[in-house]
Amino acid sequence: MTHVSLYLLGGIALWVLGLHALMLQRSALRRIMAVNVMGSGVFMVMVALASRGADIDPVLQALVVTGLVVAASATAFALRLATADAGDNADTKQPADQERR
Amino acid sequence: MSAALLSLLVPLFTALLLLLLRLRAGGLVIAANALSLGLAVMALSTVVSTGTQQLNLGGWDAPLGIRFELGPLTASLLVFTALVHLLVAVYAERSRHSQTRDTDFWPLSCLLHTSLAALWLSRDLFNWYVTLELLGLVAVAMVILSGPKAHAPALRYLLLSLAASLCYLLGVALIYGQYGVLDIRLLADMVTDDRVTRLALLLLTLGLMLKAALWPLHQWLPAAHASAPTAVSALLSALVVKGPLFILWMLWDNLAPVELARQAGVFFAVAGIAALISGGWAALRTPWIKVLVAYSTVAQLGYALLALGLLLHWQDPTLSTALWLFVIAHGLAKVSMFLAAGEMQATLGSRKVSALKGASQTMPIAMFAFAVAGGSLVGLPPSGGFVAKWVLLQPLFSQPSHWPWALGVLLGTLASAAYVFRVVAIAFDRADPNRPDYDPDTSAQWLAMLPALVVWAMALMSEPVIRWFGEAGL
Repeated sequence: MTHVSLYLLGGIALWVLGLHALMLQRSALRRIMAVNVMGSGVFMVMVALASRGADIDPVLQALVVTGLVVAASATAFALRLATADAGDNADTKQPADQERR
Repeated sequence: MSAALLSLLVPLFTALLLLLLRLRAGGLVIAANALSLGLAVMALSTVVSTGTQQLNLGGWDAPLGIRFELGPLTASLLVFTALVHLLVAVYAERSRHSQTRDTDFWPLSCLLHTSLAALWLSRDLFNWYVTLELLGLVAVAMVILSGPKAHAPALRYLLLSLAASLCYLLGVALIYGQYGVLDIRLLADMVTDDRVTRLALLLLTLGLMLKAALWPLHQWLPAAHASAPTAVSALLSALVVKGPLFILWMLWDNLAPVELARQAGVFFAVAGIAALISGGWAALRTPWIKVLVAYSTVAQLGYALLALGLLLHWQDPTLSTALWLFVIAHGLAKVSMFLAAGEMQATLGSRKVSALKGASQTMPIAMFAFAVAGGSLVGLPPSGGFVAKWVLLQPLFSQPSHWPWALGVLLGTLASAAYVFRVVAIAFDRADPNRPDYDPDTSAQWLAMLPALVVWAMALMSEPVIRWFGEAGL
């Protein structure tokens, strides 16, 4: 039981770490990585919960696989968006952005 | 049930067809939306005659399989989604200024329609996670259609949306770890009031409130919604933020222990009133037309949040009807408002509210559409917004101890009236009207007007709907 709670705590720590970085970092790449760290934390919690009993729970593992697919495609999309953004720094005439400053 | 499934599959296959054949034909999407609307109406009529229906996908039963449920509310929301998509698609195809002709808007709007339909039909926590992610990714892809200047708000929107999903997913993992099921009906029978459940509900709620832009987690919404092309802004404000709201309502109405729900209800209701006031104030102050309309979405979501909070606090199911009438009335009115605002800002050549000077003379139909939609947001009778507010106010007036909450509704009404009249007052300043850059496009302005007329027509048929929702349950 102890190694399960170790993984559970580790997963939650990763999730909190990722959230912390997402709120503080400004660089797009770091923020994308922060979201990925959060994701890894959640998946670790789910895998730890799956291996609590004598038999491993296949439902949670299936959920993790689905979650990984979603995370990979979302990361790819975010990276493409971040690199496209880097090329267009000259154009800053965004009304909502100006108002924010 | 088969009609409801087809109403989901028609836009899905249309999107795949457009992507595979590299077509960007708006006409095809309009036809698909009309077909989907017809199927959704058929599904609604079967629910009226035979009641709620279930479907276990692939023949697997609930603990392992995924269950779809078609009840009165789901059927109404399917019709609402298809109707909004149809109205927006006709405008996007017809208007010169929609920035969406021959773009990826068409397959993306079909995918948005599909994800929303799947969300309304699902009754499973993890399936909702998948539909939320689909909804978020499609919404961000639609925001960047307006070009490179929208990339920064779109990236911010995407990262926030991903973080919110992961918050929600951690909550789902905790719930599954505690109870071993994901189906909402099975969970409702098993749920107990313990620490893990409370923490899980907190995580689920935070994720969903961030996604639905509910106060105080709404700061991302105005930038994202205002930087999108007009047709996309309309879809985002009318539909996308309502998906997470649906899950939030489902969770708290079915899952939450009564004692916790009573406490959380006060928080939701206070947050709703704060949204009404702060959103209304920001809409009153902003210099940009579309940002004004986007802040009005933040404010109007406050009514839904207030209805949810009071529903939980008093455990009064009639307020569910008020909540969903607000959502539908706001969706239709907001489509009209965004389309009218986008059409006016493109024709008058400026994004500023001050550019609307004299618009009642230069673009009377679009301005009338804005005012008519605004009337429903304020809650003038006999619009859909008025009916929703009436249903909300009835339990508020029934006991003297409930009266202070009515003050919140009054403040919200005054705030909405203030920002709608701010625009109308500028538009009626005819002394030196701002000349349009292009000839105003009459038919596009009428298309912006259409959803506003639908929302006023809603009041005429609302009585049987309210009675049906009350009798059949949502």
